[in-house]
Amino acid sequence: MIEVWHAFIKAIELIVSLDPEVMEIAGRSLGISATSVILASLICLPLGGLIHFYRFPGKRVLINVIQTLFSIPSVCIGLLVFVLFSRAGPIGGLNLLFTPTTMVIGHMMLITPILLGLTISALSGVDKAIKDTALSLGASDFQAVIIISKEARFAIVAAIIMGFGRAVSELGIALMVGGNIRGFTRVLTSAIALESQKGELEMAIALGIILLSLSFIVNVVLNRIQQR
Amino acid sequence: MRVNKKRQGGENVGENVKISKSLRDCCSAGKMRVNEKIRRKIMGKRGKRIGKMIGGLVVIVLLGLFIGRVGRAPVPPPVEVLPPAPPTVEALRPVERMRVATTTSLYDTGLWGHLEPMFEKEFNVELDIIYAGTGIALAWGRRGDVDVIATHAKAYEKKFVAEGYGVQRVVFAYNYFLIVGPPDDPAGIKGLSPEAAFKRLMETGLGRFVSRGDASGTHGKEKAIWRGAGYDYEAVRRAGKWYIEAGRGMGPTLLMASEKQAYTLVDMGTFLAFGGEVDLVPLVDEGAILLNVYSAIAINPERHPKTNIEMANNLIEFLTSPEIQELIGNYGVEEFGMPLFIPCAGAEPKE
Amino acid sequence: MVIVEVRNLSKRFGEKESLKNINIKVESGEVLALIGPTGAGKTTLLRLIDLLDMPTSGRIYFDDTDVTQLGKVGLETRRRMAFVSQKPVVFNTTVYNNIAYGLKWRGVGKSSIRQKVDNILEMVNLSDHKNRNAGTLSGGEAQRVAIARAIAVEPEVLLLDEPTANLDPISTSRIEELITNIIHRYGTTIVMTTHDMAQGQRLADRIVVLINGEVHQVGERSEVFAFPRDREVAEFVGMKNIFLVEFKGSKAWLQNLEVELGREMKDAQGYLAIRPEDIVISRERLSSSMRNNFRGVISKIIREGFYYEVQVKVGWVIFKVLITGNALSELDLREGASIYLAFKSTAIHTFQ
Repeated sequence: MIEVWHAFIKAIELIVSLDPEVMEIAGRSLGISATSVILASLICLPLGGLIHFYRFPGKRVLINVIQTLFSIPSVCIGLLVFVLFSRAGPIGGLNLLFTPTTMVIGHMMLITPILLGLTISALSGVDKAIKDTALSLGASDFQAVIIISKEARFAIVAAIIMGFGRAVSELGIALMVGGNIRGFTRVLTSAIALESQKGELEMAIALGIILLSLSFIVNVVLNRIQQR
Repeated sequence: MRVNKKRQGGENVGENVKISKSLRDCCSAGKMRVNEKIRRKIMGKRGKRIGKMIGGLVVIVLLGLFIGRVGRAPVPPPVEVLPPAPPTVEALRPVERMRVATTTSLYDTGLWGHLEPMFEKEFNVELDIIYAGTGIALAWGRRGDVDVIATHAKAYEKKFVAEGYGVQRVVFAYNYFLIVGPPDDPAGIKGLSPEAAFKRLMETGLGRFVSRGDASGTHGKEKAIWRGAGYDYEAVRRAGKWYIEAGRGMGPTLLMASEKQAYTLVDMGTFLAFGGEVDLVPLVDEGAILLNVYSAIAINPERHPKTNIEMANNLIEFLTSPEIQELIGNYGVEEFGMPLFIPCAGAEPKE
Repeated sequence: MVIVEVRNLSKRFGEKESLKNINIKVESGEVLALIGPTGAGKTTLLRLIDLLDMPTSGRIYFDDTDVTQLGKVGLETRRRMAFVSQKPVVFNTTVYNNIAYGLKWRGVGKSSIRQKVDNILEMVNLSDHKNRNAGTLSGGEAQRVAIARAIAVEPEVLLLDEPTANLDPISTSRIEELITNIIHRYGTTIVMTTHDMAQGQRLADRIVVLINGEVHQVGERSEVFAFPRDREVAEFVGMKNIFLVEFKGSKAWLQNLEVELGREMKDAQGYLAIRPEDIVISRERLSSSMRNNFRGVISKIIREGFYYEVQVKVGWVIFKVLITGNALSELDLREGASIYLAFKSTAIHTFQ
């Protein structure tokens, strides 16, 4: 257990001294995860809205499928993206394997179900009376959708935080698709995996603490936005 | 107020650019100006905090896309894409990349970390080193996902070349495997031949054995020793609870063996690198079968035309050059008092 | 001038027919109360008028134009009305924004919105809570916000669905005061629902009694109360003594009691109703003009606020009589006591 204490001190040292390699890795983690979350949100929030606001056959089944995909292991996504982007794969010609771009694609695939599912449930969580009230006050359908989304904003921000959390903490895609290349695709989780493989337990835990700090900051920032 | 916000945004861009070394390397002032312009457009409309956030997020998105573009190119991009070069060393850095899949034992000992910057400097290339067990490294090679592989499993490698995936198998260093175990050596294998030691472990059932169990080069070597001792490997796997399959890299396997006070097979380099952290001692270190040869194989461009064969050949030449061979031979002496690898450029050491 | 008219309106939810063939005209500037017991279809009708739901059949006219459709016409028509629901619904933002939304959606300019909202906040006495999150308000305050939000858009027709149903008596009287204010100040046409007959009488010009999805009676506010048209309305307006009788000439047989009606009826079965406050109780047989006098025994006394409901058993029939506490103690009424009942034939309502 003493390692944890040492790791804690080490984490603080690394943060205070702005260790360039660690900062670079943390920055990359943030950049890749944030990019995936933003791109996935741009797709999922409107799509979730469409699924919620429109009635169509198979809607319940679709929602069940989306919710089932919450628990898809990141390694499976990693494998899927790997066989897609590998040179021997269907779009290997793009030569994107072992790049941050592919990691972003993998992360997007990983968190899309979460963002979609939680957006839908966030919107369903809004009192049905809100819609009627808006319409009765003269809102057009679109204006009503906007106000319902505003009512759901807390839960939607929670969904985004959830998505970021999943993306920043997953390892399978980072290893399978990113390749953990130093200075290029190494992110906090794959660095943790490497350090623990090397037996550098303190360093590994310290990186874990930095990852949590990063998530904490993202959380605080998003919550501040939401409270506006 | 407005000016202030803009300036903050500007710093933001700067920070984001720092995120990736490669990006910084090839990101010129011109490129940054483009980002700045886009951001200003956004900021101009809404000066509020949310605007600032969105601005920042858009920059991250652009950054993400940009990282992707950089990563796509082992082929040198056309010159006109490169921004006018400011007179800094940074800007002269290349965007050409090459990928090496390497066995974990070469990576964990720190040898690659040592060689990488030298190679990059000499050949103006960004070397992407992906560590993995020999099994997955070969799989990546077969699929053309890497340009060169550095592994230590002779039989697999020969097959790999014979099947046309690799150009040629070039050995560049070797050392020995060790059978290590708890200092009290419950099965009494100290000083035995590797085959005899394994036989003893099997027959006495005293003490445990942790196997890599991951189709790595080390695992292949372990299987060869079991075969040499006269056992069918499948029978060994079912032999009892004393035989533990870790399914992990060399480092974790070694740590596990130490925790469980078990025997294991380990390459000398990794064992020395981990020496201080494990409570295990070398018990068997002699025997032709323990020879551990590292070789590099360039991926056959006839199979995978998009691989960077030129740079792969450069790397192999680099590894077998006299200066680097000497460097490999001295690697670790300072830290461990003995070399971790013995250079053997081009010549297969005799068993 | 008729501003809203519904013709032959029906609404069916699955098997249940919530509204059956409703015909109502709303005059511009009047206050029309839809009253009826819970589940009568009042809210459904109000929602149909606001074009929040579509009728199963029938048409809705606004300003003599058929508006029975959603989409553009629906939106434009809906923007000439405002609806306040029974449960106060507020948006999770400031009180100010809540009231401003309707104006914003209509594209009203910012400064104009500010002025209007401030005026209305003053009117509903919520200026102090302007920047508070509406979600933190009490039920009564939230309902005031909801009403303020509705009148902010200056609707031609204001629809109020049970505006005081969930509120305490003090909040209720405040809301009623506010509604009266609106009526005086803006002369807005109001269609409101209530299950409270008294509230309907206090606020409305005309009353529509809706029971089980059907219009039972339409009339001036006192008319419905004084002259219910059928047994169901009689029951709803508080005539607790309603009996199945056999009419014969100017008499009605209530089991073995002979009741003098003072008017000729067709010989048939029908109903007879008497308000509990129209029956007089006495210790001695009254020799007054009241044609109907019966001797009975008090079976039960129930306190109802200031009043007491005395149940008197005459033969097999139980009459309910409303008397004051004073009368109760003066007459020294007790359960089991033997007393006399009397009521005028003009107090008897008959339905065939």
